[in-house]
Amino acid sequence: MASRRAAIKAIDWAAFAERVPANQKAMFNALKTRSDALSARLAALPEKPPAIDWAHYKATVAKAGMVDEFQKKFSALKVPEPVDTQTAKIDAQEKEAAKSSAEYIQASKARIVRYEEQLQKLKSMIPFDQMTVEDFEEAFPETKLDKEKYPFWPHKPIADL
Amino acid sequence: VLHSTRPLHTSQQCSAPVPPLPEKGGEVRHGLIPEEFFQFLYPKTGVTGPYMLGTGLLLYLLSKEIYVVNHETVASACILAVIIYGVKKFGPDVAAFADKLNEEKVASALAVKNEAIKDLETAIEQEKKEQWRVEGRSYLFDAKRNNVAMLLETNYRERLMTVYSEVKKRLDYQLAMQNLKRQKEQDHMIQWVEKSVIQSITPQQQKESVAKCILDLKALSRSAQAAA
Repeated sequence: MASRRAAIKAIDWAAFAERVPANQKAMFNALKTRSDALSARLAALPEKPPAIDWAHYKATVAKAGMVDEFQKKFSALKVPEPVDTQTAKIDAQEKEAAKSSAEYIQASKARIVRYEEQLQKLKSMIPFDQMTVEDFEEAFPETKLDKEKYPFWPHKPIADL
Repeated sequence: VLHSTRPLHTSQQCSAPVPPLPEKGGEVRHGLIPEEFFQFLYPKTGVTGPYMLGTGLLLYLLSKEIYVVNHETVASACILAVIIYGVKKFGPDVAAFADKLNEEKVASALAVKNEAIKDLETAIEQEKKEQWRVEGRSYLFDAKRNNVAMLLETNYRERLMTVYSEVKKRLDYQLAMQNLKRQKEQDHMIQWVEKSVIQSITPQQQKESVAKCILDLKALSRSAQAAA
């Protein structure tokens, strides 16, 4: 009994909702409604069924021994607890998610490093009115005119003008 | 500063960045003669020195006929007059226009650069936010496990309830059967007793009991009258 009760953790749905990105909100809402429905069902059922008043039945039921038999079998009966098949799968999913999210964070950090590099380069550029054309082409290599490929002015295909 | 001399390449290799170009060119007087000339002559001849020199030179050229006055002189004088008038009148506007063109180029380049900086910064922000979101993945799995636990618990309770209600139903059925049988027996017995009593009343007895009832009623009415 106690092992089952402890399994239900309190979830901070507000904090959870904050972390959900916009494109997964629908899935999150579906999960939440399912969870709420389940907890409502759970709350509606009593933890233990009410006790059967054996003394009353023993006194009133005429058939001899029937009540005793019932009582014996009832107290001997053990209702089997339902078997948990899914938690293992969920744990496996969690491990996989941990792995993939670690990879994602790695990639994200690499991206951040690249962005920071570019940011540094842009921020430390000299102001435009102090640049020469060579300085400008150094800072933005894509503006350099290819004088070997197009030896005649304007050094780029006419369509690009 | 009147005029900043740019040092030409004084050494062979100079990797220092080129200093920026000065904003304005050197000062000139009368659009022709650089200010340095006047400053050069000032210590010796004062303020009027260069002008005296100029006038003297001019008169010398004219009087000695080193420069000959002919038709070209008049033509050049007119042309110069027109040119000077034109420059004085439209010069500033043209200069402003050219400056504006340059400004626009620089401003657009600057705008591109600023936008690039802003985009990069927002991209970095986004990446950090995504990382923070990823940290919340434990919530999802907790929710899933909770769901599973709730389902199991609900199932178990339902089973208990089923057992209880089934047993109770059977016991209640027995009780109800007994009660029903009892009831039916009672009713039947009562009916049977009533029937047999009614049958056993002979006509003689009926007459006697009716007469007795009338006597009783009379007595009652008498006593009621007496009381009232």
